[in-house]
This record gives sequence, structure tokens and C-alpha cells, in this order.
Amino acid sequence: MTLTVPPSSSDSSSELPWDAAVEQAVDRLRGEYAGRVRPQLVVRVVRESRRDLGGSPVGALPELVERLARYRLGTHVG
Amino acid sequence: MGIGSGSVDVSAVRHILSDGRVLLDDVSFRVGEGARAALVGENGAGKTTLLRIIAGDLVPEAGAIARTGGLGVMRQFIGSVRDDTTVQRMLVDLAPPAVREAWHAVEAAELAMMETDDEPTQMTYANALAHWGDVGGYDIEITWDTVTVAALGVPYDRCKYRELSTLSGGEQKRLALEALLRGPDQVLLLDEPDNYLDVPGKRWLEERLLETRKTVLLVSHDRELLARVADRVITVEGGTAWVHGGGFASYPEARSARHERLAELRRRWDEEHQRLIDLVRTMQQQAANSPDMANRYHAMQTRLAKFEAAGPPPERPPEQKVAMRLRGGRTGVRAVIAEGLELTGLMQPFDAELWFGDRVGVLGANGAGKSHFLRLLAGQEVAHTGSWRLGARVVPGFFAQTHAHPEWQDRTPVDLLWHGETGPGAGGRAGIDRGRAMAALRRYGLHGAADQPFRTLSGGQQARFQILMLELGGATLLLLDEPTDNLDVLSAEALEEALAAFEGTVLAVTHDRWFARSFDRFLVFGSDGRVYESAEPVFDETRVARAR
Ligand SMILES: Nc1ncnc2c1ncn2[C@@H]1O[C@H](COP(=O)(O)OP(=O)(O)OP(=O)(O)O)[C@@H](O)[C@H]1O
Ligand SMILES: [Mg+2]
Repeated sequence: MTLTVPPSSSDSSSELPWDAAVEQAVDRLRGEYAGRVRPQLVVRVVRESRRDLGGSPVGALPELVERLARYRLGTHVG
Repeated sequence: MGIGSGSVDVSAVRHILSDGRVLLDDVSFRVGEGARAALVGENGAGKTTLLRIIAGDLVPEAGAIARTGGLGVMRQFIGSVRDDTTVQRMLVDLAPPAVREAWHAVEAAELAMMETDDEPTQMTYANALAHWGDVGGYDIEITWDTVTVAALGVPYDRCKYRELSTLSGGEQKRLALEALLRGPDQVLLLDEPDNYLDVPGKRWLEERLLETRKTVLLVSHDRELLARVADRVITVEGGTAWVHGGGFASYPEARSARHERLAELRRRWDEEHQRLIDLVRTMQQQAANSPDMANRYHAMQTRLAKFEAAGPPPERPPEQKVAMRLRGGRTGVRAVIAEGLELTGLMQPFDAELWFGDRVGVLGANGAGKSHFLRLLAGQEVAHTGSWRLGARVVPGFFAQTHAHPEWQDRTPVDLLWHGETGPGAGGRAGIDRGRAMAALRRYGLHGAADQPFRTLSGGQQARFQILMLELGGATLLLLDEPTDNLDVLSAEALEEALAAFEGTVLAVTHDRWFARSFDRFLVFGSDGRVYESAEPVFDETRVARAR
């Protein structure tokens, strides 16, 4: 029996996704939170939301990502 | 699990009704992979009950059901849904359990998000959607689109919130059948799938059932459909079930052979019984004089006791008898006059005249407005333009598709007959006492169900009872909406005879090819919105293409 060794990814946890769902949410939320939240933070929150929603159906992703990111940004600015 | 890997095994099933009667006993049969088995039997024999046991809705008193493959079920009363169920809801209900659960989870999560839009709720929603995808929900939605386009001519998104009660009976049936035939379940239980379908719809169903590789168990009273589709016939009668391994063509012969065999076995048993009794009697006399004979006498007594304890073989099932008596009475010569009549949005204006004594069949595709027309003549509220009226002394009596009487549901036949009816449309039916009620119910083969709430009567029993109400109502114009649906073959024939003897006018909507032939002329509701008269039955009006 051979043991399968997991591939040593280069710190895969910190690798945040970037795709259409992210792009759309970033576009919108940057505008919405302009002046209140740094743009880099918007990008980070959106990409984290996208990662957390990893297993969701592709068709539903844009809406789910935007919702979650908006909620998280909302709690951040209080 | 590939298509065609479904089967059903019923072994030694016994079912007892809530009033203690044994409805089914020792029912065993197998429906193997890819079989198309018909389940037949008279109204109230227990066909629907048996399907419900197989589906797991009812737990049998004894015996077991074994099944392979997913199970799809179509119930007898689809086609007469009157509540607020939507198209979407029905499709969900017909889907496999995993899909059903996933759909409910998505719905619950959506509702929760309307209340609170926090992170846990959003994650629950996302998970519900992911699960929906995992169980094949998105694929099923594509299938549903095909289903609604095929059945109603519109995409799923445009009709999913539409209430089933706004669809005609045939459209409801067609929708359910499309969903089950295109769905993933390998075993289909179909309870009178052909009811309410128009003739092209019935032909379509026959073809689809012939080409499907699914395993099918279907209840039907339609001899044409049975002859074309069934490759074996399971009969529920005499409180049990037996299987004919061939098609419907050879069925009547097989059934009378079986009945003769049962009668013969019973005759032999009776003879043997009598012989033993005589022997015991003779020996009893001889035993008085001889101790040796006394021993033989006791041995013979034991033998008789054992013979009686084993019990007689089942009786040949009694021939059912149904006699309907529709009397009627003379009316003005012109019974119904319609001028420039148009039921809003359903057809072009038309004129029609019905004479006293006319037998007119109303034909046409599902959804053409035939039922609305009858309801209008029966005095119900139906949006229309143009004019119509009934002639002198014309009293309409209306037979609606089952489940049209919510106020009857919790009352028993005897109670409904005891209280008369007055008022428009009822024709002033007088109440009758229990003795006369039982006599009337017996003529309709309903005496066994005299004290059950109406809602517990089988589909055909409900239909028979409605005809009895017509008989007692003194109507002179019968408005019948698909009266033979749900009726077994014998009751349909009894109805034909009763109509032949009826003194008055008959207007009946029907898709029953057999029954339609007993009418003199026809009013055809065309698919192009034209209503026209025809001397011959027209069965191939295509489906109504209407913007919805
Ligand atoms: N709660 C109840 N109490 C007493 N009898 C009942 C009850 N529910 C059903 N029944 C009876 O059980 C019998 C079987 O009913 P079922 O619906 O199975 O008949 P069926 O063979 O499907 O008839 P149909 O051809 O008319 O549809 C009927 O005689 C019916 O009246
Ligand atoms: Mg039934």
C-alpha cells in the first residue's frame, strides 16, 4: 500500500480567488463604500467571501458573493 | 442505477378499513423490470388503496412491499385539484424525495433571509443552493421547463406560480404525466392517468407508455387504453388480487375461466362437506350399538371438524349490479338557446339550439372551455358576452368532475339523501328516509358505503353517488361533465342505459370514445376558438394554443 502524500501547495489558504463573481461584486461595492472603506479592503472582503462560498452553484455565485461581502463590510463600518 | 431497473414485489398484503371490514387479503404479485401492468377492478374494489400501500402512504395490516428503483406516483384526483396548489408545487411534489427536501430547504432559507440578513443565514442559503445543485435540482429545473412547454405551451418561469385550479382537468393530468415520464423515477404508479385527457391526449399517453422503459403499474377503466398498453393484468376482486400474465385481449376469457374454476372448487368442497356430515350422522346411529363403531364415529367427527376448520375455498366473486334510473319530464320544445355566446377569452361567439330530447356530446381539446360552458348553463357564475336561456320547465341537473362538492366531504351518503335540497339548480330534491336511501344506494352498488363520509368514497363511488343525486333531483336537462371518468366499465354501461331511457335533454362533455358514440350529434369546441356542430364525433381537435 502506498501512502498518498498531499501536494505541498504554496500556502494555498492565502490564495484568494479572482473571477467574474468577484469582479462584479468589487465593482459595485467599491462605489457603494467609496470614502468609507479602503478599496483594497473591499477587494479583500469580496475575495474572502468568494472563497467561503466555494461550493455554491456557479449561477448563484455573483448574488451570494455580493450579499455576503456587503454584509461583512456593513458590520466593519458599524 | 440505470433506467429500467425498477420492480415491485407485493407479498401477502392484508388491509383493514377503519370500520373493521377486510378490504384486501393475501394479495401477492410482482411487477418486474420494464413491465406495463394494469390494475383493474370495480369501483371501490381497493385499487387506489393498493397503490397507496405500495407507495408507502398506508401501512398494511400484514404482508410486505419490496421495491427497487425510485418511485413516482400520480394520484387519481390530479385533474380535479381545486385548492391553491401551484404548478411549481405540484412538480416539486412529483419529484424524488431528495429533490423535494432540497427544494424545501432552499425555500426555508429564502424566507429566513427576508427576516434576517446576517452571515449565518446567508451561509445556510448558500449551502441550501449547493445542496440543490448536488441533488440535481438545476437539471430538474431544465426538465420542468421541457415539461411545462410540452404540457401547457409555456416555459416554467412563466407558469410556475399559476394555480392548478386555473388549469383544465386534462392539462393538470398532462402536466403530471410529462413530469413523471421525463423524470428520473424508474417505477411509476399511475392511478387513472387517462381521466380528463382529450382523445389526442389519450393516444399520446398510450404511445408514451409503450415506448417508456420504466416499470409501470397503472389503474384504468378505458378498454382501448388497456388493450393497447397492458402486457399483464392484475385484478382486484373478491377481496384479493390475481394476475393474468397476458394482455387485455385474452383477459375476459381468462377471467371467466378463473371464475368457473373457483365455482367448481367451491362446488366440490360443498359436496365433500355434505358427504362428511352424512357419514358422521350415519356413524352416530351405528355407534349406539357397537363400541368399535363409536371409535370410528369419533374419528370421523374429528375429520369433519378439521375439514371445516380449514375452511372453504374462496367464492366466485359476485357479479356486481348497477341500475340507474333517470326519469326526466317534458319541457318546452326548445331546451337551450344560445345567441352570440362567448365565454370571455375562450372562444369566438357562437349560436346553438338544443331541442327537447336531444342527446348532444360536447367534444374538443383540453382547455377549450367545455366545462365553463356547462357551468354557465347550470347557473354558475361564468364571465361571458352574448345571451343564453333555458326553455320552459327546463330544470338543469349538473354532474361536475369529482371533488366539486366541498360541502359534501364530511357527510355520509345516507345523511346527504336524508336532507333534501331546494333552490336553483337543485330542482327541489326531496329528502328520503334511511330505508329508501338504502334501497337507492343498493341499486348503485353503494350500500356498503352508506355510512362513510363522502371524502372516503373511492373515485368511482363518488361519481356513482353524484348520478344518484341527479336521479333524485328531477332534472329535465342533464349537464354532464366527463361522467364516465372514474366509472368502471359496468357502471359506464349502466349510465348509458339510463341516459337512453331518460325523458329530457342531455348535454355531455366527454373524451370517452366508447361513450361518445351513443350521442346523436356533437358540439365541437375547436382549437382555433370556433364552436361548430358536427353529426359525427370529432376527436382530433388539436391542443388549444392560447397566449396565457
Ligand atoms: N375511512 C374509510 N372507511 C370505510 N371505508 C373506506 C374508508 N376509506 C376508503 N374506504 C373504502 O375502501 C374501498 C376501496 O377504495 P379505493 O379508493 O381503493 O377503491 P378503487 O378500487 O380505487 O375504486 P375506483 O375505481 O372507484 O377508484 C371503497 O369501498 C371505499 O369506500
Ligand atoms: Mg381509485
